Amino acid sequence: MTTTAIPAEAKRAPAPAPERRPKREREGAAWVFLSPWVLGAVVLTLLPMAVSLYLSFTDYDLFTPPKWVGLRNYVQMFTEDPRYWRSVVTTLTYVVIAVPLQLALALVVALALKGMKRGKAFYRSAFYAPSLLGASMSIALVWRAIFNDGGTVDHLFGTGGWVNKPGWALLAVALLTVWQFGAPMVIFLAGLQQIPAELYEAAACDGASKWRQFLSVTVPMLSPVIFFNLVLQTIQAFQVFTPAFAVSAGKGGPADSTLVYTMYLYDRGFVASHMGYASAMAWVLLVVIGAVTAVLFRTSRSWVFYASEGDR
Amino acid sequence: MPGHRTKGFCASAAALALCAVLAGCGGPGESADGGKVVLRYTWWGNPDRAERTEQAVALFEKQHPNVDVTTSFSGYDAYKQKLATQAAGGDAPDVMQLDYRQIDQYASGGVLLDLGKQKSVLRTSEIDPGLLATGRVDDVQYAIPQGRGTETVAYDVQTWKKSGVPLPGKSWTWSQWADTMRALAKKTGKPGATDPGQSEDAFEVWLRGQGKALYTEDGGLGFTAADLTRWWTFTDQLRREGAVSPAEQTTQLDGSVENTPLGRGKSVTDANWDAPASGFLALVPTGVALAPMPTGEDGTPGQYFKPSMFLGVSAHTAHPEEAAQLLDFMINNREAAKILGASRGIPVNETIRDEIGPRLKDFDKTIADYQASLEGKLKDPPQAPPAGDNALQSTFQRDYDQVSYARMSPREAAENYITEAKAELRS
Repeated sequence: MTTTAIPAEAKRAPAPAPERRPKREREGAAWVFLSPWVLGAVVLTLLPMAVSLYLSFTDYDLFTPPKWVGLRNYVQMFTEDPRYWRSVVTTLTYVVIAVPLQLALALVVALALKGMKRGKAFYRSAFYAPSLLGASMSIALVWRAIFNDGGTVDHLFGTGGWVNKPGWALLAVALLTVWQFGAPMVIFLAGLQQIPAELYEAAACDGASKWRQFLSVTVPMLSPVIFFNLVLQTIQAFQVFTPAFAVSAGKGGPADSTLVYTMYLYDRGFVASHMGYASAMAWVLLVVIGAVTAVLFRTSRSWVFYASEGDR
Repeated sequence: MPGHRTKGFCASAAALALCAVLAGCGGPGESADGGKVVLRYTWWGNPDRAERTEQAVALFEKQHPNVDVTTSFSGYDAYKQKLATQAAGGDAPDVMQLDYRQIDQYASGGVLLDLGKQKSVLRTSEIDPGLLATGRVDDVQYAIPQGRGTETVAYDVQTWKKSGVPLPGKSWTWSQWADTMRALAKKTGKPGATDPGQSEDAFEVWLRGQGKALYTEDGGLGFTAADLTRWWTFTDQLRREGAVSPAEQTTQLDGSVENTPLGRGKSVTDANWDAPASGFLALVPTGVALAPMPTGEDGTPGQYFKPSMFLGVSAHTAHPEEAAQLLDFMINNREAAKILGASRGIPVNETIRDEIGPRLKDFDKTIADYQASLEGKLKDPPQAPPAGDNALQSTFQRDYDQVSYARMSPREAAENYITEAKAELRS
């Protein structure tokens, strides 16, 4: 399509298009344009998913052809594998620690930035930077060095190495995620700036304190954004891998204390060469994340307030 | 007219998209550098081994101007995982270093090339037939042993001497060893040794000292929960006394010498394989010496000479001949042998061994002398471990973590291990 054709099309747009080419032909063109994406989706997403679903019903050691075992992997997972359940508990603990901490921090910083007159752009970038860097392996390794015995935290507070203490290692992993609060922060900031100033003025006239304003104006007005961040971060937290992998040097230790779900999945697949079992674990994770998201949406009806509802 | 143009544009766009997709999957036979053959060669090891290997590879490239070798290495744990993934994807490096534990699985999985078909460029006549046979599966030569290794107690000479505890002699039993570690800990204020409880290799030495073995001939477990409970009770007690490293140190072990307590200056000794022990020199500059592993109480030796590591060629390599040439060079070339020294154990080529053996210097000589001191005293090596053992090595360490962090009793952890091991070996 040439550029000059666009304004012509646009002008015509309001009127029902009289002479369109037959539907079939138009669809054909659409498919041609869609083809790179469709090809990508099929080859890179749908096909691997189908293979993984098939593998989850097999015993596959990567080297010899998969053997069909029916539901054995699933049965073993739920009834015979204590480490599986340990990894489930570890992941839930992690989600419960990391997500609220991260969202709270993101909100606090967003509130602080909102009121800022000068240097907003600088601080916004500065706080966002960890989100860009944090997913990388190198930062996770630095994190390990900081919390290792003889590391910075050990020197400053005499804590001993957190990453080597079963009771503390998971917290070190969670802190790495919390530290990457930039993405939810930026979203919170955008949400905060959408709240009409009149609401605060009205509340102030009624004598509401800052805290009262926060609870009665900010939180309800921001609730759709809070909900969005909560869903997104929860889904991500369930899939945490890199920080746990790096902080525990790939082992989920010490004493399985950082063995989150995906780490155990990795361990089964790539260390123990049980790809079928690992695939089964991945599918259970998919179903669980779906269920948790559904539950969050269900509860959201009682606490998320959409401004448009007021108009009805 | 515009319709025409649109169609033409569509076609070219689609063609472009397809090209982009296809370009990502270049055939394996391609070679960069204007027709040069490119070989990928990977190994695990310490920086010392890497430096010497790079030098040897550079010499190979000089002698074979048409071949370009790209190398990479990492620690043992990371290497093992990466190689398994690559191998499964049919993307194994052209030439790869392999462990005894991997041969069976990789050979039967079709990952390795039959080296018997490369006889014209790969000579094996100067290798001891018994040793050579360790790289054979179902009568096919899939890998060539690269060196001979045995376990050792590497120790920080200066710290030990200063402590006043008598230096280790030609042999000691496990209880004498334990008493020595207690004495060292008392005199030096740091643990005598790395907690050996986490190491399947150390456990094997202890087990063999009692005439038992890790695996039975048909690939089942050669020991019981009671055996393992005794071993872990023994090491757990030593840890509680402070004679061996605390859990916080032990859990950081990942197969590299840098992360051992000895490498970090936090213990006096470390049980390790003799070849990688050369890596301690850079970390303990005041000197490292080698002592034999402890024996059973009646003097039965548990340690053995093992083909320390192998070299194999990928079944999918586009250049089997050049790959075999590189393999031949690493094993049979005199100049290469001089550069490599004992960084992968004492050379397997007997002519080279006799020739360069007496000329070995520094730590290479230490290793050669150490092996010579054990010659004729050790029992035969066990047969190659079954495929499941690859995973059990990490399971062993993990289950012991539960003991050293006092989360499980030695008995509970041992029973746990036996259950996991049985499942692993059955499948």
